[in-house]
Parts: sequence; structure tokens; C-alpha cells
Amino acid sequence: MRVLVVEDEAKVARALREGLEREKYEVVVAPNGEEGFFLVNAEEFDLVILDLMLPGRDGLQVLSTLRKRGLQTPVLILTARDAIEDRVTGLDKGADDYLVKPFAFPELLARVRALLRRGRTEQSQPLRLADLEMDVTARKARRHGQVVDLTAREFDLLEYLLRHKEQVVSREMLARNVWKETSRATPLDNVMDVHINRLRRKVDDPYDRKLIHTVRGVGFVLRAEE
Amino acid sequence: MRFRPRNVRSRLTLWYVLVLASLLALYAGVASSFLFLSLREDFDQNLLQDLETVEGMLAKEPNGLVSLRASHPDAAEPRIGHFIEVWSTEGSLLYRSAALQDQALGGSPGRDEGVHDPIPATVRLPNGTRVRLASSVYHVEDRRVVVRAAYSEERLWQELGEFGEVLLLGFPIALVLAGFGGYALARKALAPIDSMATQAKTISAERLSDRLSIENPEDELGKLGAVFNDTLARLQAAFDQLRRFTADASHELRTPLTAIRSVGEVALQDQRSPEEYRDVIGSMLEEVDRLTRLSESLLALSRADAGHVQLQREDISLLSVAREASSLVEVLAEEKRQRIDIEGDACLLVSADRLILRQAIVNLLDNAIKYSPAESRILVRLQSGEEKQVLLDVIDQGPGIPSEHQPYVFDRFYRVDKARTREWGGTGLGLSITRWAIEAHAGGITVKSEEGQGSTFRISLPLAKYSSTSQSKGGSQ
Repeated sequence: MRVLVVEDEAKVARALREGLEREKYEVVVAPNGEEGFFLVNAEEFDLVILDLMLPGRDGLQVLSTLRKRGLQTPVLILTARDAIEDRVTGLDKGADDYLVKPFAFPELLARVRALLRRGRTEQSQPLRLADLEMDVTARKARRHGQVVDLTAREFDLLEYLLRHKEQVVSREMLARNVWKETSRATPLDNVMDVHINRLRRKVDDPYDRKLIHTVRGVGFVLRAEE
Repeated sequence: MRFRPRNVRSRLTLWYVLVLASLLALYAGVASSFLFLSLREDFDQNLLQDLETVEGMLAKEPNGLVSLRASHPDAAEPRIGHFIEVWSTEGSLLYRSAALQDQALGGSPGRDEGVHDPIPATVRLPNGTRVRLASSVYHVEDRRVVVRAAYSEERLWQELGEFGEVLLLGFPIALVLAGFGGYALARKALAPIDSMATQAKTISAERLSDRLSIENPEDELGKLGAVFNDTLARLQAAFDQLRRFTADASHELRTPLTAIRSVGEVALQDQRSPEEYRDVIGSMLEEVDRLTRLSESLLALSRADAGHVQLQREDISLLSVAREASSLVEVLAEEKRQRIDIEGDACLLVSADRLILRQAIVNLLDNAIKYSPAESRILVRLQSGEEKQVLLDVIDQGPGIPSEHQPYVFDRFYRVDKARTREWGGTGLGLSITRWAIEAHAGGITVKSEEGQGSTFRISLPLAKYSSTSQSKGGSQ
């Protein structure tokens, strides 16, 4: 999987490269719009991560030219301007998704995965990790064959973590996808901590093998190995 | 381009003078017309008298002509500019005054001339002299003759001219005097504006506390000054608020930055295990998260200030929004074994943006949970108030807010207990956001509290409608 990162800020570009390479993507970095434009025409990529605020050639311009030339490569926009209008223009010009700076890296990875998966027949993964299983239709969770009694919110939370197993899930992702709360100004962090603690008590505490892990400062991950 | 004096004083004076000049011109016109008409009236009177006198003097000469026989010698040619002509009805000239110097007072008479009562009219002689002319038909013995008598209007115009000269001489003097007077008056009237301008010039952003001195608050200028002072007061308040906000914001931003910096610096001082580094980085990321949240809250508020937030309004049951808000934070209350009770009428609908309103209530509930002791009760009570308002009270049993803090709790970054709230991860913006959210919905928020007696936050929103089909959407209690 080849990913083109068009980003002028060297530190961010390096972090993106390292983070994506860790996930086994092949990464090419273009430090400005001109080069990004050239590369995308010259080579083949599976995904473009495009910063909107670029020197030389504006990100939106690059995007619209690309789409006019019929390139179907999915494009993920990064923007520091947290304005709805920008997002709308970006999506109008043919972007597939956007992310507002500063973003959490797990969030970026999740978007990248989603975009690369798009268009392919999604193989329904069984919701299972080690001896934890979830049946979404019956809304039942089992650990080691034992039914774990969960509230509705706890079930949603565990389901989200399980669907993103072995990936770090940020607090923003949980707030948006589990609590359906878009504004980061809402004080949800304490609420999340309480729910995670309760989930731990029910899912992990009775067993030696712990599945729910906190990645300090980043978020949470459901992982089988210690 | 039009001439336009630069200052109001000259402009006012110019107007005075212009108005006065046109009034004087009007006066002169009317007065001259009256003078002219009354002079001519006299003139005509004399003319008619003369015509009668001439009749008595008519005498037939043997050669068929007519002569004027004077009863006394100096009456033969009565006055300079007094002209007589006598015509026969057949059209032959019988007599002409010598003063006419053979100029005709018109040609041979028409058939009707002089038949009716004589009416004077103005005619012009061939040499250009304007005369007043009247004619009448008389009999000299058995002969019908037409007698024409005329006066030169010269004297009339002369008198009128003299009158005009007097006026022309007087007008400029009057106008100059009016100009000076007007200028002095305008200057006196505008003097307070000059002094206001001088004072206003010294008021800058740094010295906004200065005010204009007002001599008489009742007159127009006093009112202007009062309005200006009022604007200054509001400007000063806005400046103060901005200054305080900037100072507070930079302080709030500096706190996590300091933490990141010192944690990083200390960690780099000596070799540590990967686990320890992991911990350090995690701790730094936590502060980054706080910064992110803070900047996002600030952005939300500044967007709100700029009026960029568009509300997705719909008619919703306030009770159901309160239930949703409660369901978001109820676990926090459970942890402290607190109870959140929600009571009220689900039929009270408000026109509101559900997410924004929910956030406002969540902030209030979050505060209530934080500040209330364990095992206490938080009551959310909904009722209809006066003037089509819906009231939502959030009542806690916390320590209350000291009265000196109450007016400021909705201010940005205002904290009653500075150390404690930061420790809980609050941004100090929650209540400001709540207040903005409520005010954006044309509502209001107040706080009532007594130390040791708990606090009551009251939201009031305009009632959209009362729906008998209650929407009991939302979470549990």
C-alpha cells in the first residue's frame, strides 16, 4: 500500500512517515503542492494525505486539478482551519475524508484504514479477541464462555474497541462514535474513564489475561498480548 | 465643483447671509412694485385731470385746425413731459404739443379710440421715451375730435431708481453685519463642540476611563456628550474584558506548556528505562490533550462571539434534552453515589439546537456532580414560568458559591476555587459556553446560591409550544 503525504511542516511530515511505516505502509513525502502534484501524476498511489495549507500550490487547488484529470485515488485532507466551510469545499472538490489539526494519530490511522478498505467487499470479521466474543445482534458478550452482563453504553464501548482491536482508539474517536458527541468542549473524559473502569471490572478483573489497556495520553486499546 | 466651506461655522454664516439676502431681495422687489404702482396711480390721476382740462381749452382755428387756448398763459404747455395731440375722427392731425417735437403719440385714431372712459396705458414713442397715454373723444363746437394726453414716465422711473439706490446702498451693509453677527453666533454655539473634540482627542485606548465634561446635560450638545460618554463606557468595559480574557487565556495556555516543558526536560536529564520514557511521553500527551481541548473551547467561543454558529433549531422537549444530558454524565454521579432526579412536564417544547442545548445542560450537571458531596441529590426541575418562558433549574447540595463570586461565575476562566477545578481537568470555560448557548437561544441563565446551602442554576428559554403528545425521548434517570 503506497501512501503519498503532501505536508510542508517537516516535523509533522516525519511523524506521519514514521507512524505510517510502522503500520507497514510505503510512504512518500512531498514537501509542497507542486511536488505533490507532480508525484501524483507520475506515480501510482493508493491514498493521498493532503495538507490544505501548502506553500506554492494550495492543497484545494491540487485536489481539484487531480479530480479534473480523473484520478480516483482516495484523498484525506488535513486542515488547521476548523471551519465547516473549508470542509465542505474540500469535500466538494473531491476529497474523501478530512481531519482537523491537531489530530490524534490513532484517528488518522483509522481514517486511512477506512479509506483503503472503501470500495472493497468487507469481509465480516468475527467480533472475537482471545476468549472474548461479542454477538452484536443478540447484544451478548462472552468471556471464556461466560456471559458478561453489560449496560447498553458499556456494550457499545466494548464493541467499538473490539471492532478496532489491536489499534489504539483515541478519546475523540470514542466521544464521537460511542457517545455521538461532536464537541470536544463537552466534559466527557471523566465519563469515559468511569466506563472503561467498569468495563475492566467486568471483562478483565476476573481473568488473568488482561485485554483492555490504557495508552497514556493517547487512548485505549483492546489487545490480547501483554 | 461646488463651493463648500470646510467648517460648519463658515457654512452656517454663509447660510445666514444667503437667507438674509434672499429675504432682502424679496422685500426690495415687493416694496418697489408697491411704490411703482402707487406712483403710477397718482400719475394716471393727474393725466385724467389734464385730459379734462385740455377739453376746456380746445378752440377751433379758422384754418380747420384746433388750438389750445390757455385761460392763463403758463397753462398752455402745462409741464415738461406733458404731451397733447388732437385728431379729427377722419384721421387728420389737428394739434400736437411742441414738446413732442413732431413725434406721433400713435397714428390716426381707430374707430373706437376714446369712445369709452379713458384708461391710461403705457406706449413707447419713436425716440424710445415711455409715456402714459389716455385718450377721449370731445366736441369742438360741432366737430368730433379725439384728444390724446400723455406724460413721460421718466419721472416715475427716476423716483423708483432713487428708491433702488437707497436699498442697494443699505443691503451690503446689512449683509456684512449679518455675516459678522452670524459668524460670531455660530462660533459661540459651536464652541462646546470644539472643546469636546479637544477632550476626545486625548482619550486613547490607554486612557479610556476619561470622560467628556458636560455643562448642560439637557441641551443637544449635552445629550451628544452623554451618548459619547456612554459609548466610551461600553468600549472601556469591552477593552477591560478583552484584556482580562487575553491575560487569562495566556495563563491557561502557559500552564500545560510549562508542564510539558518541565516534564520533558527532567526526563532528558538522565538515562531512563523505556517504561519510564513511555510514562513521560504519556504525561506530555495528556497536557497536549488539555491544550487541544482548551483551544477548541476558545475557538467555539470566538466563533460564537463572531456569530458564526448556526443553530439547527427544532421544537424539542426540554425535559427530553435534560434526560439525554443526564444520561451522558450519570455514571459520574453513580461513582459518587449521587442521585440525579429529573422532574417536570415533557410537553414543554423549546425551539433549540439539540446538541448545543444538551451541552449547556451537561456542563451544569457536570459542575453539580463535581461540587456536590457524595450521596447527595441533584435535582433537575422543569416548569413553565411567566411570559411564555420555560424554566429549568439544576439544584445541587454542594457548598454553594460565595456571594462575592456569584456575579462572575459565567465569566471566561473565572474559577471560584482555582486550584481544585484545574485539578479536575476543567478548562474554566464550561459555564461561559453554557451561558453563550442559552443566550444564543434568546434565553437567560442565573445562579442563586448561599454558602453551605447548595446552588441553583436557572435556565430560562422561550416556550415554543405546548405539545400534548409528549416526546419522552432520551435516556433513563
